[in-house]
Amino acid sequence: MLVSEIDMITPSSLSECLTQLSKEGRKHRLIAGGTDAVVRMKEGKWRPEIWINIKNLKELRYIEESKDFIHIGPLATHTDITHSPLLQRKADVLVDAAGEVGATQMQKMGTIGGNIGTASPAGDTLPALYVLGALLELTSLKNKRIVPIQEFIIGPGRTVLKENEMITKILIKPQRQNEKGIFQKLGPRKAQSISIVNVAISLTMDQDRKCVEGKIAFGSVAPTIIRARKCESMLTLGPLNDELIQNIAKIAWKEVMPISDGRATAAYRRDMASALLERGLYRLIRRWENQ
Amino acid sequence: MKSIHFIVNGKERTVVCPPAKTLLDVLREDLGLTASKECCGKGECGSCSVLINKEVVCSCLVLAGQAENQVITTCEGVGLSPNLDVIQESFIAEGATQCGYCTPGIIVSAKAFLDEIDTVPSVDEIKTALGGNLCRCTGYTKIIKAVQTAATKKISKPETIG
Repeated sequence: MLVSEIDMITPSSLSECLTQLSKEGRKHRLIAGGTDAVVRMKEGKWRPEIWINIKNLKELRYIEESKDFIHIGPLATHTDITHSPLLQRKADVLVDAAGEVGATQMQKMGTIGGNIGTASPAGDTLPALYVLGALLELTSLKNKRIVPIQEFIIGPGRTVLKENEMITKILIKPQRQNEKGIFQKLGPRKAQSISIVNVAISLTMDQDRKCVEGKIAFGSVAPTIIRARKCESMLTLGPLNDELIQNIAKIAWKEVMPISDGRATAAYRRDMASALLERGLYRLIRRWENQ
Repeated sequence: MKSIHFIVNGKERTVVCPPAKTLLDVLREDLGLTASKECCGKGECGSCSVLINKEVVCSCLVLAGQAENQVITTCEGVGLSPNLDVIQESFIAEGATQCGYCTPGIIVSAKAFLDEIDTVPSVDEIKTALGGNLCRCTGYTKIIKAVQTAATKKISKPETIG
């Protein structure tokens, strides 16, 4: 299929889009921000017969709060997320992460639904969504189901999304008053880079540097994002002093399972996972104490 | 082939092209607007930056069909001699261009950035705003200086900004 032969349909509503997705006997694909999709089209990896263009489908671009959840439309861009006062107050780790995606252009074009659907092991918003316990609403013409993000992504670029389904909502649990998060990323340069390692941390804090509950998720160190359960269990052992933080960082070195690739060696990734977690914990505690 | 309509630099334009052709190629080949450049073709360098509805995007990753009915501004739309924008005048005054390949993209990014702010930005703020634009010649010092100069001029004489 040549690029010049690819057709495009622009549905004007979600229901029209789902109807298009349900059509069989042809190859079609959704395209929103295009920051991954167009690159893959140029590389020849994605050559559908029809692009279903949802870039301007306004009903899927929102950020709002209900009683128990924050609802994010899949077409919310990374800029929408970093500029949202609601998320700044109640999902700081996601705001941090969205601000580390590419640079200005990519943040204005790229959508959170796209970042999830691409399911890259290095996707920057993903570790943040893991620690926020994100649930994804997947909708087809006849069905709707809710899948936790860690069950949605099953491998590099692989998800449980069916051909006739699309992500129609992202639900996250708002952070409590005493909950603070941080996202740390190591890339080859400061702006516009793919993560060599990234980590999202969210801690529920008590008096005297004590942590009541904590979640840690690493990216780029395994086929999917991973929660560092051993490190998490150590967070509540006592006040987060230098000794405990450094011990947790050492455990992270063992807990990640990186490979060597064009961006870094496995050994370097292990060292950096440990260093990023240590730095992140220190910065997070400083943030908590200075608020 | 599809007939696609946009507003480019304030003018209504209609082109007939494959809907999956990139906006960058449409601008350059169909509309003859060659300020925007292709370099990496995957959103890493910012040479193809244009504004769609006042937001800076990489036109090499926007398909023509996706830009239908949108308002597009290229570097030519920011200003052309003799009616240059303050940001373009500052680039000339500061000598913030060498080979010039990245310059139209940087002008467009800087224009979007300056339209959003009403203070003189810090070096770090400029670096963040232009993080998606690579330059391999000047080393950025003069580019950053030019953006600061433009911001200073804009704030001291706001009525001159079109």
